[in-house]
Amino acid sequence: MSNDADISRRDFVRGRLLRTVRAMAGVPTPPPAPQRAAWVPLPIRRPPGAVPEARFLAECTRCNACIQACPVGAITVAPMRFRHAAGTPMIDQATAACVMCPDTPCISACEPGVLRKDRPLKMGTAWVDRSNCLAHRGTLCTTCSERCPVPGALRVDGGKPAIQDATCTGCGVCAQVCPAPINAIAILPLPDRPA
Amino acid sequence: MTTVDRREFIKSAAMSAAVAAAAGSTRAFALPVLTAPGVQWNKAPCRFCGTGCHVLVGVEDGRVVGIQGDLKADVNKGLLCVKGYHVGQILYGKDRLTTPLLRKDGRLVPISWEEAIDTVARRVLKDPKGFAMYGSGQWTIPEGCAGNKFMKGGLSSNHLDGNPRLCMSSAVTGFLSTYGVDEPAGVYDDLDQCDVAIMWGNNMAEMHPVVFSRIVDRRSRGEKVTIIDFGTRRTRTTDHADEFLLFKPNSDLAIANGIAHLLVQNNAYDKDFVARHCNFRQLDPEKPDAMQGKPMTFDEYAAALAEYTPERVEQISGVPADKIRLLAALFARRDIRITSLWCMGMNQHTRGTAINCLVHGIHLLSGHFGKPGDAPTSLTGQPSACGTVREVGTLCHLLPGGRLVANEDHRKHAEGFWNLPEGRINPKPGYHTVLLFEKFCTPTDKGGDIHTLWVQVTNPGQSLPNLHKLFKAKKGLEDKFLIVSDVYPTATTELADLVLPSALWVEKNGMYGNSERRTQQWFKMVDPPGQARDDCWQTIAVARRLFDLGFEGMKNKDAEFLFTFKDKGGKPVPVWDWNHYYDINVDEAFFEEYRPFSKLKQKDLAPYAEYARTRGLRWPVVQQPDGSWRETRWRFSEFDDPYVKKGAGTQFYNSVTKDDKALVWFRPWEPPPEGPDADYPYWLCTGRVLEHWHTGSMTRRVPQLHRAMPAAYVEISSTDAARLGVRSGERVALVSRRGRLELPCWIGGRGDCPEGTVFVPFFDESLLINELTLDAHDPFSKQPDYKKCAVRVERVVTTGAAR
Ligand code: SF4
Repeated sequence: MSNDADISRRDFVRGRLLRTVRAMAGVPTPPPAPQRAAWVPLPIRRPPGAVPEARFLAECTRCNACIQACPVGAITVAPMRFRHAAGTPMIDQATAACVMCPDTPCISACEPGVLRKDRPLKMGTAWVDRSNCLAHRGTLCTTCSERCPVPGALRVDGGKPAIQDATCTGCGVCAQVCPAPINAIAILPLPDRPA
Repeated sequence: MTTVDRREFIKSAAMSAAVAAAAGSTRAFALPVLTAPGVQWNKAPCRFCGTGCHVLVGVEDGRVVGIQGDLKADVNKGLLCVKGYHVGQILYGKDRLTTPLLRKDGRLVPISWEEAIDTVARRVLKDPKGFAMYGSGQWTIPEGCAGNKFMKGGLSSNHLDGNPRLCMSSAVTGFLSTYGVDEPAGVYDDLDQCDVAIMWGNNMAEMHPVVFSRIVDRRSRGEKVTIIDFGTRRTRTTDHADEFLLFKPNSDLAIANGIAHLLVQNNAYDKDFVARHCNFRQLDPEKPDAMQGKPMTFDEYAAALAEYTPERVEQISGVPADKIRLLAALFARRDIRITSLWCMGMNQHTRGTAINCLVHGIHLLSGHFGKPGDAPTSLTGQPSACGTVREVGTLCHLLPGGRLVANEDHRKHAEGFWNLPEGRINPKPGYHTVLLFEKFCTPTDKGGDIHTLWVQVTNPGQSLPNLHKLFKAKKGLEDKFLIVSDVYPTATTELADLVLPSALWVEKNGMYGNSERRTQQWFKMVDPPGQARDDCWQTIAVARRLFDLGFEGMKNKDAEFLFTFKDKGGKPVPVWDWNHYYDINVDEAFFEEYRPFSKLKQKDLAPYAEYARTRGLRWPVVQQPDGSWRETRWRFSEFDDPYVKKGAGTQFYNSVTKDDKALVWFRPWEPPPEGPDADYPYWLCTGRVLEHWHTGSMTRRVPQLHRAMPAAYVEISSTDAARLGVRSGERVALVSRRGRLELPCWIGGRGDCPEGTVFVPFFDESLLINELTLDAHDPFSKQPDYKKCAVRVERVVTTGAAR
């Protein structure tokens, strides 16, 4: 619990600083998060192939099978601050990334079928904060594009990374490996997955 | 690093953002920096590479809490590379060494500093001739001065070598045999003005990223600069190159000769420059000597080059004949400026001296020399390979100021400056690095006459080639004693008998000298952790212990202690006592003692205070009539170098031939000592990656850098990988005649090898690629070749190894 509180406080501090920095550097603030339907709790990043959120909440049995199946330990149980989503599987950007296994063991393990092979693998979208990205600030850096597991999702244009929103799955590998002093990649979750 | 530490860092990194933004960021880049009241900002050069960027270090409550690029620094103008932005965190890895450790019954146990210093002194007394010191291009200038004087002036022993032997010594022999004096004539300013930049086997985008940005950045301002990348594999540098010329390993000498041949054959060389400023030389087969050689006429030179036709060069190197013609045509043009850049590719080469000479030769022959933008410039990998090792002379054959132990006059001079009795300095050069470690790792009864080795500020247990032979063989040799001064446990401390915890970077005063002759200074900003103490102090303390034990060598001519430093009132300060070490500025004292040496070969340094004031100055720094100190950017050129005679235009005033001319050498291409064959069919090349520096002992303790590049890998071409049936992430074994190592492969990642070549970075202490590399070295510079040896690649069959 105390850990959760720490993280959210840190997020808060960081968010405020980020806004200040952006304002000072004349960088526009990121686009507002997509409009959410009233029933969605907090934005939560699900494992790949998740069904729409309402159905996910209703049908996920909290059996933890996907958590056990993940070979890199990327999936965790949503903590209490996610309120009624607490206990369901999620991927926390602060600590882990989905590595996009070709054989998606988490989906295979999901018995109630809230993770499905016939659903898009998209979990969210990466967003590059240009005021903190080293490459966008004149320092040679290509780490994120080299480690991105999805071909074509992260292109380097003139030495600077650019996310291809349609291809990006939001796995979070880029955010994990980003070596900038202030991590320059945010993963925007996809709470309103299409039906 | 604990969560709290890390969070503080994140916070302070964020804090780092406002100053630059407020200052209006003269450059579009450099991360925005925030600061807070209470944070004190002070300048220091970056701890890592030879680029020599300046950072501003933010300190609060005795802790480094922020780093920002220094807008006032000429070198980097506010920009840093990914490592530099995190340099503050290297102080706070959780396993810092904080107490002296002595090996007892196989285990390292804490001991007191008194016992530690006494132990070192007793090892000296055992037999001073068998006591050796191994220093570093990461030594500060005063640390190098202390080590040099301790060994050469105190123990009368020249068994002191430094790790730049492994990275820069071929550049040194190249400069010496061409100009009669070490270090580049040009500076980074050339990169702002050249039309063509040629990378000779140099992955500058990863190794010297900030200087490389300086070139690439010109393009974003609409300037045109052509980058030509000569390489044995595609790298991040290739991404920015206009021309990529892939050559077969070891064939660079043929290419250089091919260019020279065309310049001569097409009568396209600069006749005037050659007539006024060049002599021609080749090796004397009777008496191979890289300095003097055997004179040859221009016609003999032309005849020697004749076999290097573009077609023949294509055959040897794989570079199309047309591209050789294109390069020669570029050098033939007088209306453009060409800068050549190189680093380990040309230096870590069994023909390192030769290829260095050839590249200088092309520039001299074509007159692309001595004008802004026209320069052959070598880059250094370590922050003070130039400052501490090449200038202070911490190699086994050198004395400070670029002088030689073998020369009687030079010795006399040094004895004078150091106030030593005549004859104290030993005329016989000591063991160079490879030989030194060989002698240390050979049993005493089999001729291994080095019984004790003191390593400071470097990690030979990971960075030496052929590690089984040159390092690991020490294990089990009971009478051999390894002393290591370092800040973290490393592959070297693993075999150490005595570990001395050191202060790191801004935990002490320091001075560095970067690739472009720039001498830099910083002040201590925070205290070292626990009982960690300055390396310089350690050397002085051992010397004092020897003095107290009656060792004659630790006395100067007046029977005073060798390291006698006086305060302003003329009273000696007991600096060997840690409590008094900072009573005076020992760095300043050493530097002022060393300064007179710098004038001997026109490498004049300014007083210490000038460096404290500036972001470094490039030597020769000469005092002006108005009392100010002026640095020199272009050496040997009348318009900038005060030592050039009026009207001479260009003058090589340190000339080997004493006629103010440089030497253009002919050196033939020869096949390498080891190349791929039926049993070992691949070339193995080793090197660095952007995120890690040297052996990773500092950068791997920075969480962001470690996450970005967590482990070593083998880069292999997709064709070879398909043939072996391996995919990215799967493990293969590399086997050479000297060792075997299993690694995951990475295909199409950071770089891209051609078929038949594999590349492995050496930063990872858990995957020691240097167990496989070759200890064959250049005959003149004694620098080993880490870039070329033969290996076999085997698929490792294990279950579930894919991830
Ligand atoms: S590592 Fe080298 S290039 Fe990077 S900031 Fe430090 S000195 Fe500059």
